[in-house]
Amino acid sequence: MQYSQKVLDHFMHPHNVGKMENPDATATEGSPACGDQVTVYLKVNEDTKVIEDVSFLSYGCASNIATASIITDLAKGKSLDDAKQITWRDAMEALGGLPPVKVHCSVLAADTLQSAISNYEIAHGLKKVPNFSKETILEELKKIIYPQVGEDIVSLKMVKYVGYNDGEVVIDLNMMSFDTWRDNIKEEIKEHLEKYPEVKKIEINFP
Amino acid sequence: MKPGMIYLDNCVTSAVAPEVFEAMQPYFSQRFWFPGNFISTGESTREVLAGFQSTVANAIGAKADEIHFTSGGTLANNIAIKGIANAVKKGHVICSVVDYPDLLTNAAWLEQQGFEVSYLSADDKAVIDLEQLKREIRPDTFLFMTTAVNHVVGTIQPLREIHEILSKAPNKIYFHVDAGQAFGKMHLNVDEYGIDTMAISAHKIHGPQGIGALYQRKGTKLAQLIHGVKRVDNLQTGGLSIALIAGFAKAVELNFADLDGTIRNLRELSDYLIKRLNEKIPYIELNGAEGEGRAPHNVNISIDYIEGEAITMMLDMHGITVATGSACASEGLKANYVLMAIGKTHVQSHGSIKFTVSRYNTKEELDTVVDRLAEITEELRQRSPLYTAFLKNQEK
Repeated sequence: MQYSQKVLDHFMHPHNVGKMENPDATATEGSPACGDQVTVYLKVNEDTKVIEDVSFLSYGCASNIATASIITDLAKGKSLDDAKQITWRDAMEALGGLPPVKVHCSVLAADTLQSAISNYEIAHGLKKVPNFSKETILEELKKIIYPQVGEDIVSLKMVKYVGYNDGEVVIDLNMMSFDTWRDNIKEEIKEHLEKYPEVKKIEINFP
Repeated sequence: MKPGMIYLDNCVTSAVAPEVFEAMQPYFSQRFWFPGNFISTGESTREVLAGFQSTVANAIGAKADEIHFTSGGTLANNIAIKGIANAVKKGHVICSVVDYPDLLTNAAWLEQQGFEVSYLSADDKAVIDLEQLKREIRPDTFLFMTTAVNHVVGTIQPLREIHEILSKAPNKIYFHVDAGQAFGKMHLNVDEYGIDTMAISAHKIHGPQGIGALYQRKGTKLAQLIHGVKRVDNLQTGGLSIALIAGFAKAVELNFADLDGTIRNLRELSDYLIKRLNEKIPYIELNGAEGEGRAPHNVNISIDYIEGEAITMMLDMHGITVATGSACASEGLKANYVLMAIGKTHVQSHGSIKFTVSRYNTKEELDTVVDRLAEITEELRQRSPLYTAFLKNQEK
């Protein structure tokens, strides 16, 4: 398992790193328990809605730092609407790829950027706090990477069923009993869904 | 920068000593013969082999014919554990949650075969729970196995106390020890600790890779695991490398000529490293036992607020090789199970760094490592949201 030279460059000399004083919006995603956490700070021009400055802090591995660095590069100077189109695939591509087991780092970086943008829009009345629904769950599942191949579990058709009723989430996954990633995926899903106050109970089933 | 210029991962594998390299040479091209009968080539190998067995046996207070050379510690563990279990056929086995993967994967295999296994817990220093051991012993318990020196935090298990407990049991309980980390780093006398079988390897004490040995107390019945052509005996079927065995014996000679001196030198290095780390880097803690309770070559610390894979990679760019218990550095994305089992938090486990020294390390090297690590820690902390939050809390 090896990192590309670009990942190493961003890891050793990250761009836009450091806490921002008086940001217009900020977001923190991930958790220390999972070994990675990213904070993104934004400065947005109120008239043009262009991201004039962006910075990050990262607790995590080399690829965590590198993906956060590249995501700030990608967002800087873009309008909020354009920045909203930036995905983890863009971050990964810009870094010349990541080892499959590290793809989830690029998801965390993109996720944190999108959360910061969303927080800005909510605070400035540009959008409402979205209602939690089955769609929200599906969107979150698209951010869960199967570490063996570095693709999300929805694209890989590993999600068989998603149900949501009154705070209770039920997810059926197509993962065999000998699949050693079961626990990882389960914990990842919980981490992604437990941040929503609407979610009271999560049930994840395997065949 | 040369990879591994300063190598502090000696518990995984260590450099072959020049004397060992030299001792192996004649056995590759001149005296390469397998042991045999009646003809001079075979007979002479039989003779030197007996000498090498004797060298290794003396190091652990065993008899020469109780030593079986294997391809390494893992094969020795397998021959012993599966050999005892298959000879006994059914019953109950005890080990612990902090054991080396060789033992834990064998324990899992035994469970699949219908044996029952109890896993002892360990305290915050990784010492296994002896009271629990007493409680877990049943009339059908036939095997207790332990890792003499913990492979992650270097804690030495109380072998004497374990022996006392096992010897008081009404039934015979075989005592198997994985001594991968312990061999050459502590006094290990098989009679003193009542050990029945033990796995050791050469490459962690500056011997060659690919050779180890199984100690089998005379009278301990082991069902045959590897079937094949008999060159020496039924436990070590197939060919063997006389050159690697010669190297193993030489490494043992060098390490054990003055074992107290070997241990003292290693401990001086690791104590020095601990002292310098504490002087130069704030917010770190030592994982595992302190002082005499830890093997002399192991220093395992947790560095708060930063993650181990990033630390090891930055050290690597300075030519320094260390290990980490971080999930991000593991293939299975899981925090180190030993650190988690002894009550460390995920953050402590992710931020753990393991240094293991050898006689080829110097204090000057350790100074360089601590200086680089101090710089790296400062830099990564400046990038870390956890450290920023900690500083903010301190201001309050």
